[in-house]
Amino acid sequence: MLMLDAKRVLTDIVNNKFLHMVSVVTIALSVFIVSSFSLFFNNATDFLDAWRKGVRVITYMSDNVTEPQRTELMETIRNLGGVAGIEFISKDDAYNDLKEKIGQQSSLLDGLDKNPLPDSFEITLADSYRRLEDIEKLSQNIGGLPHVEDVEYAQKWLYRFNGVYNLFKVTGLVLVSIFFIATLLIIANTIRLIMYTRREEIEIIRIIGADEKFIKYPLFFEAVVHGFLGGVAGILMLYLAFILTVPNFAPATVFSLFEIRFISVKFSLTIVLCSMMIGWVGCFFSIRKFLKI
Amino acid sequence: MVNGQGKNTIIRMFNVSKRYGKMEALSNLSLEVRKNEFIFVTGPSGAGKSTMIKLLYMGETASSGSILVDGMNLARISRKQIPMLRRKFGVVFQDFKLISTKTVFQNVALVLEVAGLKPKEIYPLVMDVLECVGIEDRSEEFPPVLSGGEKQRVAIARAMVGTPKIVLADEPTGSLDPDSAAQIFQLLRSVHERGATVIIATHDQQMINNHDGRVVRLVKGRMDCEN
Ligand SMILES: Nc1ncnc2c1ncn2[C@@H]1O[C@H](COP(=O)(O)OP(=O)(O)O)[C@@H](O)[C@H]1O
Ligand SMILES: [Mg+2]
Repeated sequence: MLMLDAKRVLTDIVNNKFLHMVSVVTIALSVFIVSSFSLFFNNATDFLDAWRKGVRVITYMSDNVTEPQRTELMETIRNLGGVAGIEFISKDDAYNDLKEKIGQQSSLLDGLDKNPLPDSFEITLADSYRRLEDIEKLSQNIGGLPHVEDVEYAQKWLYRFNGVYNLFKVTGLVLVSIFFIATLLIIANTIRLIMYTRREEIEIIRIIGADEKFIKYPLFFEAVVHGFLGGVAGILMLYLAFILTVPNFAPATVFSLFEIRFISVKFSLTIVLCSMMIGWVGCFFSIRKFLKI
Repeated sequence: MVNGQGKNTIIRMFNVSKRYGKMEALSNLSLEVRKNEFIFVTGPSGAGKSTMIKLLYMGETASSGSILVDGMNLARISRKQIPMLRRKFGVVFQDFKLISTKTVFQNVALVLEVAGLKPKEIYPLVMDVLECVGIEDRSEEFPPVLSGGEKQRVAIARAMVGTPKIVLADEPTGSLDPDSAAQIFQLLRSVHERGATVIIATHDQQMINNHDGRVVRLVKGRMDCEN
């Protein structure tokens, strides 16, 4: 039975190449767009996470702070909400650190007669306290304390990036739903067209005693095959686009923190499965309208 | 048996009417058909011959009256049973109703596929009937390249292959030249000889005159005379 069905489906796909191709290509495009959004999100989320985990609020102190004042300041900061840890970095430590980091060129520093770096605190944040608004508020609070010269946490553009991320998240969800519905309608419509082009055949098959299953199964089979082919093609398209464009980003320093990943195998399989399921549902809807005796 | 349907009765129509909107295509038709009978249903165009054939295989449903086919009461059967009813029939049409994207072999084999037979069982049965109608050498052709007479032979092969109890033919020679028509008629005869009940709707008076068989004449949806 299954073999016969598969054969019937294949002959039909050959007979109606164009119809089937349009359906598969449209599904492939939808899958491509939806999965590129996912690709973007997975990576943007990873990126923001990586950055948030690494975020440290650096507090630079004014030059003439006495040790008791420093200890007091440290205690005050430690007691602020969201502060997980605080470490004192003396100007000398900072100087040696810098010297080590620039290595070969450390002779440049020899030209300075005095260490230009200030004393500082490096503050790490509690896990629950990594939203940008929180960080912003915290650094404002610290900035208002006595003996604090400057507070620094990260580049401003990251803040903007977060805004863009949220905007994309909303439009992404809307787009995904639109494409979901569009794909469903396209499959339903294709199946309806197939049934229309085959209405005489279906009529004949009925007269010779076919039951509904015999008529329905190949149609479901076709819709699910469309979903499968479209899903796989869409993901292959994305992969192609990925390997062609991503190497161009790689040297940028921002991305050195983490690696841009392609969507996972599991997620790709989920997308293909979803696309097959959409095929099934689309077929279900058009058949319900068409196949009442 | 239901409603006094005798052992030898395979079809019983009682007071059957069929209306299409206000138009009454059949009025109070009653008819009994015995097993292995050979019947002509005749009458002028529009008399209701095709309608009667359609009512039998449930291509249409009667507006009133009762129809019994081989023990099945058509008014009572569910949608799911309709395929089972249709497998009792082989039907031949004036316009052949072959599937043009399938080969001759596939067209005939479809009847058995639908009935759930395996390819291994299907092949010999199909080749056998194709031989019987004399078209076995064209089994891999597609219907559009065949002549009218050849197409109708394929249709008869399809109507025979499931060895149905009843073969219905609605103007089977209506679009054929006289020679082909005669051949088709002979084939329907041989189907009858193999044991099937055969009902032929035709307005071809000459065909009826030249052959034995009970004649049912319809005029404006009513039985005119029966002999
Ligand atoms: N589907 C239909 N809808 C409306 N009227 C129909 C339909 N089928 C047949 N008729 C009418 O019913 C009458 C009988 O038709 P039909 O059974 O085809 O006659 P015959 O086969 O004897 O020529 C005709 O008047 C025809 O116009
Ligand atoms: Mg007619």
